[in-house]
Amino acid sequence: MKSYFGIFKMQFKGQLQYRAKAISGLTTQFFWGLFKIYLYLAFMINQAVDGFTTSQMVSYIWLGQAFFAVSFISLPKNSEQEIVKGDVCYKFIRPLNLYNQWFFESFGEKLANILLRCFPIIIIALILPSPLTLSAPTSWVHFILFLTSLIISLFLSVTLGMVAVYLTIKTLMPKGALDIVNVISGLLGGFYIPLPFMPQSIQNVLNYLPFRYVSDLPFRIYSGSLDISTSIIQIAISLAWLFALIFVVKLLMHFALKKTIVQGG
Amino acid sequence: MSNIIEFNNINKEFKIFLRDKGLWGAIKGLFKRKHKLIKALNNVCFEIQEGDIVGYIGPNGAGKSTTIKIMSGILTPTSGQCKINGYIPWKDRKKYVKSIGVVFGQRSQLWWDVPVRDSFELLKDIYNIPTEEYQKTLDILIDILKIGELLDRPLRQLSLGQKMKCELAGALLHKPKILFLDEPTIGLDAVTKLAVRDFVKYINKEWKTTVILTTHDMTDIDALTNKVILIGKGKILYNGSFEYLKNKYANEKTITVEFLKEYDKIEVEGYNVVSHDKNVAVLKNFPQTIFNTQKFLQTITQKYEIVDFSVNTISVDEVLAKLYKEFNL
Repeated sequence: MKSYFGIFKMQFKGQLQYRAKAISGLTTQFFWGLFKIYLYLAFMINQAVDGFTTSQMVSYIWLGQAFFAVSFISLPKNSEQEIVKGDVCYKFIRPLNLYNQWFFESFGEKLANILLRCFPIIIIALILPSPLTLSAPTSWVHFILFLTSLIISLFLSVTLGMVAVYLTIKTLMPKGALDIVNVISGLLGGFYIPLPFMPQSIQNVLNYLPFRYVSDLPFRIYSGSLDISTSIIQIAISLAWLFALIFVVKLLMHFALKKTIVQGG
Repeated sequence: MSNIIEFNNINKEFKIFLRDKGLWGAIKGLFKRKHKLIKALNNVCFEIQEGDIVGYIGPNGAGKSTTIKIMSGILTPTSGQCKINGYIPWKDRKKYVKSIGVVFGQRSQLWWDVPVRDSFELLKDIYNIPTEEYQKTLDILIDILKIGELLDRPLRQLSLGQKMKCELAGALLHKPKILFLDEPTIGLDAVTKLAVRDFVKYINKEWKTTVILTTHDMTDIDALTNKVILIGKGKILYNGSFEYLKNKYANEKTITVEFLKEYDKIEVEGYNVVSHDKNVAVLKNFPQTIFNTQKFLQTITQKYEIVDFSVNTISVDEVLAKLYKEFNL
């Protein structure tokens, strides 16, 4: 375990040194957030949609932007190079599990990204004038449930990143693999269009898929659009999905790596 | 001494996809794919003893890297048995790799954007090295490789030679019993090459590390070892002393002779005239002729008047080129 923590720490530290990257990401996410909020404000004309109020929508968008790194599925930073160019052979010669090495790299990287970016966006969003302001959480219970759900979302996001790693191993096309996973997860998970805006019938289906637990559930809980008992049930579902996905992806990866060939000298 | 590496009838096949040329070929390839099996390794057998340095040589594409990858547990062979340090590399991978160190000359195992020292500390965690032992090993490595002032710089800022020294140190932090070096001196300058060789000699002598090294630089082999395994087209062609290979061809001499005047025809008993231009001729001895300076001069001065002459023995690289040619590689 110590070694995996070491890998996590390494990526975390590595990511923290890119300040300019963080600032530019931050700026993009901030203005993109403003843009989305104005867009949906115009659509909603100050009325709630299916009980989803404008202030809830604003909080939902801001949190989505602040925790962009959770919603956005990414590959572990070096995996692309490792798989396509064959540097992965060095991962094989460590007395460690290959899946776990990537998992903890990705986790460290994502956490560093989140910590660098979430606070400035949240602080600015809190002091913006109405109707752009991020509201305080509905209650302490909601806030704690929000944090719990967010942590599960983070792990789910890393796991979906591992699906992209798996597809990269299979296809040797990291960009394509990542796009597939991101489009599916973003569309079905409420990252592009907030789920409350979707028809109830579709929402019912999406509740059974893992994607909304990556980029929808925590922000819904925060904004108080779900009551506490529903929140707890859905957190339980997201946890079940997390374990199921980790199991399946690990299994797939195991078989894929068995057949791996590292070519060239 | 006992065998630390045993390779028994190892075969490795790769499936490669073929495509007809041109646009039509590309379109056809969408529907029907042809493939071909390539035998990268063909019944490879050899043994390596503990504490040896062994040079693993052969032309590009002969199967050297494939062998190294099988030995380091990265690839699973199609068939055959292999036992290294009591383990089957691809089966007991996690346990086995603790006892080996690998350096691929063209890849990097250290982390790109953090100081080298941080990479080393992570390796310490990964291999579970006790702090005291780690410090001791690191001090020795810093001392022989002279990498003290490089440790606090990120890897991306180091030159190729500095990087290679750090890679070597990284591969040896856990004091592996076996070290695999895949073209470790590729692209290095003369001084760094010497440093790398001295280092390999040192760890072989002091730590009794078994070293398997692939290289195209025959001076590496000359400086480090007398044991070579020659592989070509996936087959082991020679396994034995390097000295023997050299002697086999070292008898062949090229003699350049400058004559006092131009002769129409030059004939020397026991020698071939390779070229003849004005008053300079290049001769080569017949394989059965043992070159002897005195005898040669006597023979040639009987018929011709000469001004000067020089004798060239073939270089190690030429030995290898001949060898490859002889085996039709």
